[in-house]
Amino acid sequence: MRTFKCMILLMLVILCGCWDRTEINDLAFVTATAMDLSDDGNILCSLQVAIPSSTEGGNRGGAKDNQFFIISAEGKDGNEIHRKLQKKSSRILFFSHRSVIFISEHLARHGIDDVLDIFTHDPKYRLKTYIMIVKGGDGRDILKMKYPFKQVSIEAVKEMEISGQDLAVTLRDFYITYASEGVHPVIGAIEPDSYSKDSDKEIYNFAGAGVFKDFKLLGLLNEKETLGLLWVTNQLKTGRITAKLPHGGEVGMVLNHTDRKIITKNSNDFVHFTIQLEGQGSLAENTSSLDINEPENLNVIKSALEGAAKKQVQDFLIKIQKKYQVDSVGFGQELYKNNPEKWAVLKNQWDSRFPEADISVEVNLTIKGAGMIHSSFDMQNKEMRK
Amino acid sequence: MRRFGSGNFNEYERNIKLKSNKLEEDHKKEFTSDIEQNEKIIKETFQDCSDLEYRQIEVNHHIKWLIVYIDNLIDEKMLDEYVIKPMITTRAKTEGDLKDELIFAGTTNISKNVSDIVRNLLEGYAAILIAGSSDIMTVAISGSVKRSLNEPSSEPVVRGPREGFIEDLSTNISLIRGRLKTPKLKVEYITLGELSQTRIAISYLKGVANNSLVDEVRARLDSIKLDGVLDSGYIEEFIEDQPFSPFPQVHSTERPDVAVAELLEGKVAILVDTTPFVLIAPMTFWAGLQASEDYYIRWPVATFIRWIRFLFINFAIYAPPLYVAITTFHQEMIPTDLVLSIAASREAVPFPAMIEALLIEIIFEALREAGIRLPKQMGQAISIVGGLVIGQAAVQAGLISAPVVIIVSITGISMFTIPRYSFSNGIRLLRFPMLFLAGTMGLYGIVLGFLGIMLHVTSLRSFGTLYFSPIAPLKLSELKNVLIRLPIWMKFRHSNNPSSREDRLEDLSGDT
Repeated sequence: MRTFKCMILLMLVILCGCWDRTEINDLAFVTATAMDLSDDGNILCSLQVAIPSSTEGGNRGGAKDNQFFIISAEGKDGNEIHRKLQKKSSRILFFSHRSVIFISEHLARHGIDDVLDIFTHDPKYRLKTYIMIVKGGDGRDILKMKYPFKQVSIEAVKEMEISGQDLAVTLRDFYITYASEGVHPVIGAIEPDSYSKDSDKEIYNFAGAGVFKDFKLLGLLNEKETLGLLWVTNQLKTGRITAKLPHGGEVGMVLNHTDRKIITKNSNDFVHFTIQLEGQGSLAENTSSLDINEPENLNVIKSALEGAAKKQVQDFLIKIQKKYQVDSVGFGQELYKNNPEKWAVLKNQWDSRFPEADISVEVNLTIKGAGMIHSSFDMQNKEMRK
Repeated sequence: MRRFGSGNFNEYERNIKLKSNKLEEDHKKEFTSDIEQNEKIIKETFQDCSDLEYRQIEVNHHIKWLIVYIDNLIDEKMLDEYVIKPMITTRAKTEGDLKDELIFAGTTNISKNVSDIVRNLLEGYAAILIAGSSDIMTVAISGSVKRSLNEPSSEPVVRGPREGFIEDLSTNISLIRGRLKTPKLKVEYITLGELSQTRIAISYLKGVANNSLVDEVRARLDSIKLDGVLDSGYIEEFIEDQPFSPFPQVHSTERPDVAVAELLEGKVAILVDTTPFVLIAPMTFWAGLQASEDYYIRWPVATFIRWIRFLFINFAIYAPPLYVAITTFHQEMIPTDLVLSIAASREAVPFPAMIEALLIEIIFEALREAGIRLPKQMGQAISIVGGLVIGQAAVQAGLISAPVVIIVSITGISMFTIPRYSFSNGIRLLRFPMLFLAGTMGLYGIVLGFLGIMLHVTSLRSFGTLYFSPIAPLKLSELKNVLIRLPIWMKFRHSNNPSSREDRLEDLSGDT
């Protein structure tokens, strides 16, 4: 009787779970998805699938040909496309290793609400997948590109995103922002590199960000504006700012550490935001004749850089406030945090009130060093101004 | 107390009883005063034993002596020097007188009982029969062959004593006594094995070892009934608490320093004649992971090495199952670059990952077994066949994938970091069910297996001590001897069993 009970128990343990054993070589590892709008209004979905090929002797450097291939399918909805894609693959499509989803600018302007829904259901579609807009092109073209560092080219995009110099938005970030009050999502953008003429050796570069409202792309921010966005939203890890000096020449600065503070003030009917930006870093370039050993000169440089940074951020703010009229930074959210009563009043009309909001920017930079050489390497020739 | 699971045991016990009844009759038999009759009794007992020697000696033409002994068990030189020579020159007429004359020959016994004399003869005594007396004297002049003390091959150390136990019980006891020069070290002899009559010594430090532990060991040993004891392994199987556990519950060692260290911790050593392996009870899980050298090298290093062992014992059990589970169920857990290279290496392999891992594991076990059984001169052949043929050729031929070979090699190395041979054997066995669980249920299976192992280990007891103590149940004060090895001056080594420590303190104060 005891053994019988034991056997029943053992069967409960063994037979309850679902049998989902799949050998690793029966899977097709999808590394990226691109969503484009086809000519007849359907969605054209392309997958980049990695080809596991042996890397004997460890000579992985120098990407070999055909480390990946692309399968595409067209359809009305995600589920139909998935079914069509699976029919083209001998192995089970495995999406957990997908690192990036590209959406063409065309499709994004058309609206991505239908496209994004399929990524929210299956847990194998990871929410940590990055999502990017392809500026002025098709996602499919980005997938086709080979990247010299990586066997699977799209992994390079992931590495670029992780490095934190540009706007990196994952599906999760996008959904959270979308679901939050008083803020609208933004997505990083990528474009084929305009300098590489040879089509076979084309690579891509990051190109700012796309501003969304209600799942529709309103427009794109350029790189300088994206820096402003990152700084104001406190996502900036490292960045470079350049300023023209009043006496000629340019100075450049590398930001290592940044901080921001948004202060809300409200007078009766009107909302006023003050953005206080902090930045620490070192000088990276100095083509002027200023000797930065002098504290006074350093102050000149500092104020010039602060002015440049302020302008950069203001340009960005003007663009979202006046041109796109969308609160991508989350000023509404700040208001909600600092003054919930006011927010309750403004909540429903925020989209129309935001363009009128008064936003001022204060920048405070701290120059921590000037690198290896103090002023300019051309010190002897230039007449240094003391 | 003890559970004997097999039904065969009862039958076995019955046979033993029948045999012992017959021996019982022999016990009562006594010698007569007629020397010819006595000779006949001995000859009958040792019928067909050609190695029994008789030497008749007549002194002064009227005293007739008969010396009986077993050839090869006694030292001929000693016989001539200490028995025959004094006999010829003596003026003694009775055994009593003769005993005084032969006093320098070592142990002498006088008995009428046949079975006593027979046992003495078998132990290497010479029996001296004298005409007209029923008392028979035996003289110990045994001269058996002994191995010299060598370094124990199963527990090598870089630093530490190099002496190991040998097959001779008295030598082994002297090795322990040499390290513990105190009358508190007790040695109790018992004899086990109806036919082998093997001497067993129970050794402990009075006042340090828990009295009830000693009683328990004694009781368990007394209840053993078997024909012959060829190694302490026979005894171990009888006295362990849970005979179906893969973990050894009695510690066996070849090193006198280990035995003494354990005695100092209040444990009981069981020495068995004819084997160099001494049993020590109780044993804990952690004892299986400690080498004697831990206490001879400097403590930071010893602690580090201990943690390396903790890490690798987990590797030994879980590395292949984890590989199988993750590559067949949870591919999303592997970093993308790694998953692609694993997939690439498995591209040509025809078997599922579990079969592949099982295959390599079994081949590895076979290699290991072959390596042990093979004559030493052929050891190289094994490493060539194992390393080259299986490692390289099979991967190149696409029969197995390189990651599996790497994983199994790591497991193999992990096995050898476990210092206790019997303990590592237990671990070795656990790998296969774990592999099976991993291959059928993935990480869920591994967690089930892990829970099973933990449940078993934490409920296991060895002579009343919980096997997993002091981790479970947690005793913080004793962790310093388990998780880390504190400097010796910072602690006084004591037992893992707190009751014995208290006992000892009381006993010590009572003794003085």
